[in-house]
Amino acid sequence: MMINSAEVLFYILGLMTLIAGVGVVAMQNPIYSALCLVMTMIGISGLFFTLEAYFVAGVQLIVYAGAVTVLFVMVVMLFDLRKEVSSALGGGINTAAKAVGVGIILGLILSAISLSKLGTSTMPLKGLGASSIKEVAVQLFTKYIFGFEIISVLLLLVVVGAVGLARSRGGTHA
Amino acid sequence: MGRDTFEITVNVVKMLVVFLMMVQMVPILVWLERRGSAFIQHRFGPNRVGPLGLTQLLADAVKFICKEEFLPQKAVALLYYGAPVVALVPAALALASIPFSTPVEVSPFEMLGQAWGPYTFYIQGFHMNVGIIYILGVSSLGAYSLLMAGWGSSNKYSLMGALRASAQMISYELALGLAIVAVVLLYGTFDLAEMVSAQKGPLTFHMFSREYVVSVLPNWGIFFQPLGFVLFFTSVFAESNRLPFDLAESEGELVAGFHTEYGGFKMLLFFMGEYGHMMVSSSLLAIFYFGGHHIPFLTEASVHDWALSLAGQETTVASIITSLVFLASFLVKVALFLWFFIWVRWTLPRFRYDHLMDLGWKTMLPWSIFNIILTAVILFLAQGLVL
Amino acid sequence: MLEVGINHYLILSAALFCIGLVGVLLRKNALVILMCIELMLNGVNLSFVAFGYYYSNLNGFIIVFFVMTVAACEAAVGLALAVAILKRFKEINIKNFELLKG
Repeated sequence: MMINSAEVLFYILGLMTLIAGVGVVAMQNPIYSALCLVMTMIGISGLFFTLEAYFVAGVQLIVYAGAVTVLFVMVVMLFDLRKEVSSALGGGINTAAKAVGVGIILGLILSAISLSKLGTSTMPLKGLGASSIKEVAVQLFTKYIFGFEIISVLLLLVVVGAVGLARSRGGTHA
Repeated sequence: MGRDTFEITVNVVKMLVVFLMMVQMVPILVWLERRGSAFIQHRFGPNRVGPLGLTQLLADAVKFICKEEFLPQKAVALLYYGAPVVALVPAALALASIPFSTPVEVSPFEMLGQAWGPYTFYIQGFHMNVGIIYILGVSSLGAYSLLMAGWGSSNKYSLMGALRASAQMISYELALGLAIVAVVLLYGTFDLAEMVSAQKGPLTFHMFSREYVVSVLPNWGIFFQPLGFVLFFTSVFAESNRLPFDLAESEGELVAGFHTEYGGFKMLLFFMGEYGHMMVSSSLLAIFYFGGHHIPFLTEASVHDWALSLAGQETTVASIITSLVFLASFLVKVALFLWFFIWVRWTLPRFRYDHLMDLGWKTMLPWSIFNIILTAVILFLAQGLVL
Repeated sequence: MLEVGINHYLILSAALFCIGLVGVLLRKNALVILMCIELMLNGVNLSFVAFGYYYSNLNGFIIVFFVMTVAACEAAVGLALAVAILKRFKEINIKNFELLKG
């Protein structure tokens, strides 16, 4: 396992994730945006692997990269959106103001990170590997049990709601 | 990857061998498919090129490579050329984390005037402690090759075929994942090597904290999870787009589905990906339900002793012989399942699309959830009603 | 600079978040806006896991499950709404849906 070369892996994966993220925003055609989103998800999963969160990385691959983004790509491919490609970014003072605003927010966050004493204090915990899955499960079913049950109700609601929203009159079968 | 040069070299060679193994199994599988289907259909298959027609696919590969390589006029080049690659990569990644055999223990030895220490080499590409989650995640990335091929071909029928096929794949991933959840509940670990080592010995049932040993049967997973085996077996057909679930290719219905506009070497890469998925699925079937590399009624220790007597008490060579014996056992099981895949393909008719989606959502999903609940209840009872 | 500490992961997470924010503010296609919201949520997930790893705190990993589940739900409902709008209005440029204005 790539524990010793985690730094090199972080830079490579981080660069790939950032470039794919910029690709999501900047690409004109929504299909390319969706495929760049897939690359971002895979890059973030790789970063979770370097952070020794193996279970979360696998779940990110299964749930995000394997299901949610497939849904996005399928919806974008089903509706041919080439007409909307030209109206991707409007020009003018509105756009510039929004970009400057986001730049200010980014600057504030970065200065907060660098001025704080976060990076200097702790050593990462070694051995937060396979045994952590069991501990995560124990915590999930004892301390966070209420959130867990609420999330399952939320999933049920979303399934019923999504089917109800996207249904066509008369249904698909006779 | 390793502490010193020898270990790193052996690990890199191991990964290459695993990848090449996947690529080289394809000619054998295609030969098996063509001859096997021919015998099922009461005709001869290709039997002219080489003995028994074994080098037919060599001739086919030369033909594919020499074919004209074209790009349809309105096709999107990046997606069109990238789709076969994306079909091949997830299968190769998933095959790399499957344990094929017992680990090889190398005792310290002398070479080139330097003492190389004791090593343990696992017979897999790399050792993952969350093996099954990783395999599930990487296999679900195979849906993108279909979508990229369907869109990149700029062809209405390809797009329809690709959308139907990817909808089928993500629907059956649910039943697959839930069947795997039941197996993980049973063995209590995500690590595939540990699941294999939990299946050794004779069949042992625990009920109310007493043990019942049935010594004529091995301790394989299929005796604990029969319903799960049926569900998993059906889902992997849908995952690798094999008949009876092959709406993606549906020869004769959708022209040729998502790979209509592909010819020559690119189509060969698609089939390599499909056979790679088949190999991963067969290996998972062998590991979860048929004891992995274990041979019934033989323990690893007895095989190791036999190998020691054969090798003149040298532990390194004995360890290698033991690994080879168990590797052969594992490959026999995988070959059996691959033959099942081919057999079912030429026996059952294809599902209609709405029947297929109904089966996936309305039948397999409830039965998978029932399987999990049943497994959990029985495991709870087995430890003696202690909370 | 070469030794990777928590600051590296936090800076990457902030960059991803702000790229997603730029996308939400500037793009006009409703589906791309949904994709950029997913990007923001992923940036936040990364920072949670980084804190969980470097401070040996399991809560980081657990909250990621909840965030991932809620994000998947929201993507599903958002896509269902987008499909319904597309079927009805045949376009998805959000400039045409400023119905509460004026």
